[in-house]
Amino acid sequence: MSTMNRGLLDKASAAITQSQIWRSIFRHGYPDTPLNQSLVMMGNVFLHLHPVKVSRKAMKITYTWCLGGMSFFLFLVLTITGVFLMFYFVPEQRVAYTDIEQIKSAVAFGNLVRNMHRWAAHLMVVTVTLHMIRVFYHGAYKPPREFNWVVGVVLFLTTLLLSFTGYLLPWDQIGYWAITVGSNMASYAPLLGVQAHNALAGQSVGVGQPTLIRFYTLHVIALPLVGAILMAVHFWRIRKDGGEAGPPPPSRRELEQARAQQDVAAVGSLN
Amino acid sequence: MATTEPRTAATQKRYRTLAVVKQEAITRVERQLEDSVFVWPHLLVREFLSAVLMTVVLTITSIVIDAPLEAHSNPNLTPNPAKAPWYFLGLQEQLHYFPPTVAGVLLPGFVLVALALLPYVDRNPSRAFEDRKLSITLFTIFAIYFAVTVLAGSFFRGSGWVWVWPWQHIYFNL
Repeated sequence: MSTMNRGLLDKASAAITQSQIWRSIFRHGYPDTPLNQSLVMMGNVFLHLHPVKVSRKAMKITYTWCLGGMSFFLFLVLTITGVFLMFYFVPEQRVAYTDIEQIKSAVAFGNLVRNMHRWAAHLMVVTVTLHMIRVFYHGAYKPPREFNWVVGVVLFLTTLLLSFTGYLLPWDQIGYWAITVGSNMASYAPLLGVQAHNALAGQSVGVGQPTLIRFYTLHVIALPLVGAILMAVHFWRIRKDGGEAGPPPPSRRELEQARAQQDVAAVGSLN
Repeated sequence: MATTEPRTAATQKRYRTLAVVKQEAITRVERQLEDSVFVWPHLLVREFLSAVLMTVVLTITSIVIDAPLEAHSNPNLTPNPAKAPWYFLGLQEQLHYFPPTVAGVLLPGFVLVALALLPYVDRNPSRAFEDRKLSITLFTIFAIYFAVTVLAGSFFRGSGWVWVWPWQHIYFNL
């Protein structure tokens, strides 16, 4: 780049970053100093759930495998692609199936977005499950993080229910019969079997229009709302409970060995 | 200068809580400082890259593989087998062994409650693998059982839920 161009570029970026508009949005300079690296984390609503600094060990990819973060990212992808699908899909049993066919064949990027929604949903069940397994093996559910584990279990259930309610919406043979099998299971609940089935299916026998509208409403608003609120709690609690747990500390035996070695060293220094 | 203004809400001294600093945060200076780095850029760059990677993988998968869409639903034509979504096939597999109330309601209910209560039941404070042999063994057995039944229900069950080898026929939908 010639020196004249560089001069122009510097002037242009200075003009932008020193303008009142820019400085009204970003109250600090570019985050390349410790002060600005702190201010950006505290002053940005999207970043402020993160701490300013994080333990190097807890941040390692091979510790978290990014599973919780990826689950959240997939939730965002599902929200965006889901809103797109809502523009074209009507939860009415005579048109639901043809709406999906239309999305696949007539809507611009419809097939791609539907595929992404479907695969992201399956993937999210996988990442949430693996995240839970990872947290178990690291003992990261132990005090003071026990309540956040409970929130996580409810989020796991919410994920399964989100996926399950979405399964019915295309109104094809797979979804229709999977939900028939599933809602029939509810009728085997002790004492409240009939009521549980009717609450889920919206009718006493089989799956129909009442079921479709219930599953649709649960899928596009009720469960995402529950999920979003619980996620806010979940992320907040990570901070409040002392951040990521980090790799497990030494075992009792290792601690005892270290103490014994210290004692030997202390005796040695006395002699 | 007049100095005897009445003390109204506007003029009296007021206090705000700016922060509650826990005692250990200031007095325990001998506590070892953790080896930490700034979230901007170190953590954010990792999150960004994993999000980009996920987007690329998801987009390519979605271009290459179409989401399934079977024939229009038909209440008079029950597919055999009628399978639940894959993550429930472990439970559907249980139906083969236990009565529906046990397999479909009590067992999943018990598993969920047990998972939620885990941190209150497991009183062992140590997080080291070596100190947690019992809980890790139990959880691993549970996880393997769950994975095996999901796989069995997904790829090894056919019409009438009889055992079918995957090389004979796969009755599975995503």
